[in-house]
Amino acid sequence: MTDRTENLVLVLPGLLLLALAFFVPIARMLVLSVEGEAGLTLTHFERFLSDPFYLSVLWRTVRLSLIITLICAAIGFPMAYIMAHVGPRLRLWLIVLVILPLMTSVVIRTFGWMVLLGRSGLIPEILRDLGLAERNFAIMRTEAAIVIGMVQVLLPFMTLSILGVITRIDRRLEEAARTMGCSFLGTLRTVVLPLAMPGIVAGSLLVFTLSASSFVTPNLLGGSRIQVLAASIYRSVTQTLDWPFAAAQAVILFAGVLLILIPYAQLTRRADG
Amino acid sequence: MVRAVPAWLRVGAWVFVALTALFLLAPLVVVVGVSVSESQFIAFPPDGLSLRWYREVLQSDRYLASAWISLRVALAVTVTACLIGGAAAIAIHRRTLPFSEAMATFFLSPLVLPTIIYAIGMLMLWSALFGPVSILTLWLGHTAITLPFVVRTTLAVLSESDPFLEEAAKTMGANRLQRLWLVVLPQCLPGLLAGGFFAFNISFDEAVLSLFLRRPDMTTLPVQIYGQLEFSPDPSVAAVSSIMIALTVFLIIVIDRMLGIQKFASN
Amino acid sequence: MTIKTSLTKTSLTKTSLALAGTAALLATTAAANAQSITINSFGGSYEEAHRECIIDPFEQETGATVQIVTAYSADAFAQLRAQKDAPQFDVIHFSGGQEIVGAQEGLLSPIDESQLSNAADLYDFAKTNLEAGEGPAYSIAALGLVYNSETAPKAPTKWADLLDEAYEDHIVVTDISNGYGMLSFLMLNRVMGGDLDNIQPGLDAVTQLLDNGAVVVNTSPEIQQEFAQNDAWIASYASDYAFTLRKAGLPAVFVQGEEGTPASFITANLVAGRDNQELALKFIDMSISKSAQECFANALRYTPTNSTVELSEEVAADVIYGPEAVAGLLRFDPITIEEKRSEWVDQWNRTIAR
Repeated sequence: MTDRTENLVLVLPGLLLLALAFFVPIARMLVLSVEGEAGLTLTHFERFLSDPFYLSVLWRTVRLSLIITLICAAIGFPMAYIMAHVGPRLRLWLIVLVILPLMTSVVIRTFGWMVLLGRSGLIPEILRDLGLAERNFAIMRTEAAIVIGMVQVLLPFMTLSILGVITRIDRRLEEAARTMGCSFLGTLRTVVLPLAMPGIVAGSLLVFTLSASSFVTPNLLGGSRIQVLAASIYRSVTQTLDWPFAAAQAVILFAGVLLILIPYAQLTRRADG
Repeated sequence: MVRAVPAWLRVGAWVFVALTALFLLAPLVVVVGVSVSESQFIAFPPDGLSLRWYREVLQSDRYLASAWISLRVALAVTVTACLIGGAAAIAIHRRTLPFSEAMATFFLSPLVLPTIIYAIGMLMLWSALFGPVSILTLWLGHTAITLPFVVRTTLAVLSESDPFLEEAAKTMGANRLQRLWLVVLPQCLPGLLAGGFFAFNISFDEAVLSLFLRRPDMTTLPVQIYGQLEFSPDPSVAAVSSIMIALTVFLIIVIDRMLGIQKFASN
Repeated sequence: MTIKTSLTKTSLTKTSLALAGTAALLATTAAANAQSITINSFGGSYEEAHRECIIDPFEQETGATVQIVTAYSADAFAQLRAQKDAPQFDVIHFSGGQEIVGAQEGLLSPIDESQLSNAADLYDFAKTNLEAGEGPAYSIAALGLVYNSETAPKAPTKWADLLDEAYEDHIVVTDISNGYGMLSFLMLNRVMGGDLDNIQPGLDAVTQLLDNGAVVVNTSPEIQQEFAQNDAWIASYASDYAFTLRKAGLPAVFVQGEEGTPASFITANLVAGRDNQELALKFIDMSISKSAQECFANALRYTPTNSTVELSEEVAADVIYGPEAVAGLLRFDPITIEEKRSEWVDQWNRTIAR
């Protein structure tokens, strides 16, 4: 057996599974997007791309996903660093803290946010009492609500991805930098951050794609006045029953995400090891 | 020794952790609060204090049966996703195959599309080829959408590993299986653990594939919760979530007591 | 050498153990009972009533078992369409007019009136298109105004009251992706002078409501939350859900608008391509029987479609009931709705988008 055969044997089950159990079914659905009554058609794509409403939905999806990813990285990196540097017991409880939101059903977790962010919710009420908001101020059904809800549930993906890498960084490197007179923040920036890059990249890939494709949380927290593409797809499938248009939207989402991810993956290829 | 970390940074770190904790836990506190409410409808702050919804959930065959199904599917999915995804990540990491980069991206693709598209496509195809769906369909579907997590986390960990260890083992005469089992596997363990954890959770909480790819007599817990909500949104759904939170914490304490935290968390 | 082999063995054993364990986790006993049918129901208290009023008596009478899948109309329809080649439902219930599309696409089987012993008792409008595949309506949800009797400044009497400034920003508008939301919107549109060819007056009214600060929700649980949690005063929605809110302890009152009461039909449909059609037809027959409908009206306050149903005074007070009252119900042409749904949803989305 050569190295190549061994690796082929290792990767083949995954490739087959994805090809047969994922791509073939997806293709079955996506092909609807170009199937017209008389042969192939691009009308569903035209309808989407020529309509400012749908374009704004697409733009919002991309924009919110980027914001969510940035915030997750900004919280996730320091969190992972702190986790890596505290005792094992505390680290475990911090991990528990970060993953607990994942343990609650999405609908019920979202309900928690609805209570906190709604018109009579705790947070708007506090802001009102402080004189910072108007009487009918609410965070529910705004883009901010979507971002808040998504960051809460996607944070574990970012934090744990970074943690997995950061714990493997040789502690002596940091010490060396510090003995050479580098400040704490300087060490963080010049030593830890570059070495943690693979984790940050892996985490942001996960967070970005997940936020672009999820629809339950955005739909419940953003409401129907602030649609994202995935929620629009869900509606086309179940409510307006326009499956070809749903498929066209999915193709556009797929293409849009790839357009952003591929350059990103290229840029960070070296860091991604 | 080096200069100590400045005090303001230590304080800052703790403030940061506390704020993050507040942010992450606030909605969960609401959920637990709702679950002990006496009232019929979901409301916060809770109206009175009672454990009736817990009693209701624990006596309900439907919740218990669906939790059992979800647990079995999630465990099966975790095992297969770790085996298949872990193996694929190792092979991709070694870069002896052509298109390793492309393959890494390929394995991420199930995340990009909303699950509703996959669910409908899978249901159409399966019905046309094999007839009625079964638990096997759900298992395949969940494995496909959890694979990216395992592959990503394992790849990330491997990229930081020492490439010479395997070489060394080879020189010392270890065969392929031994190298894989004794050298590579321990190296990817943290990634596999994290990926497996995600796989379990995603499968356990996944509602859309489960909704469409189910057999009439198999309802998973998220689908059961979703079904309960439309017509009778009562605090029992909050009680189910609270029980799940408690179980997680409990499980971790048990692992701590029995195995010692170090083995579980320090890698 | 021995170490090598034993290591290899351990790893192989562990892997195969994991695989065997996985197989065991997924092993199930298939319920391959010929005398069994699969239906969908809508969960929670609806499903309880469904069981009590139709399913249990059916099982007792026929000795067959009924497999219940909790799936709302929209999800159930998507499922039915996707598994066209191997349907799993025998009887499928819809509340949003999905049976029209289903019948057009051949997903549902035509029913001959003679196959249903209780069909003769149905009001005519409940069995209009049986031969095309649209199953009979077995209950009707009436749409009107739901308001909070404790906090609302005044009781509404007509649809136009929705635009009354007295309700300030405490109004809940339901998205038209929701079946009840669609009918409420069409009613508002009609009251404002529009019709099915022109929904602009309705859209203008909605714009006005939104400018006043009304909130838009998608699903029934959200309506409940708005009333329970966020001090909503008024919404247009169905009588059955108002009853659900009241049972949950909220001071929700349902009134019919003076301008008319749109009706949402809940239908029981026969799925095409299944072996058990005879049994399924018996189930549908049971759904439209006098006793089943009386039971449903008592439990959830649905309007019966069987003309022989008799209700107690207490229940009748909550239910639109009797030939005259029922004849007064408004039904927007479901075929037009299906034809225009996509277009309307587009316009609606644009109108409400921020």
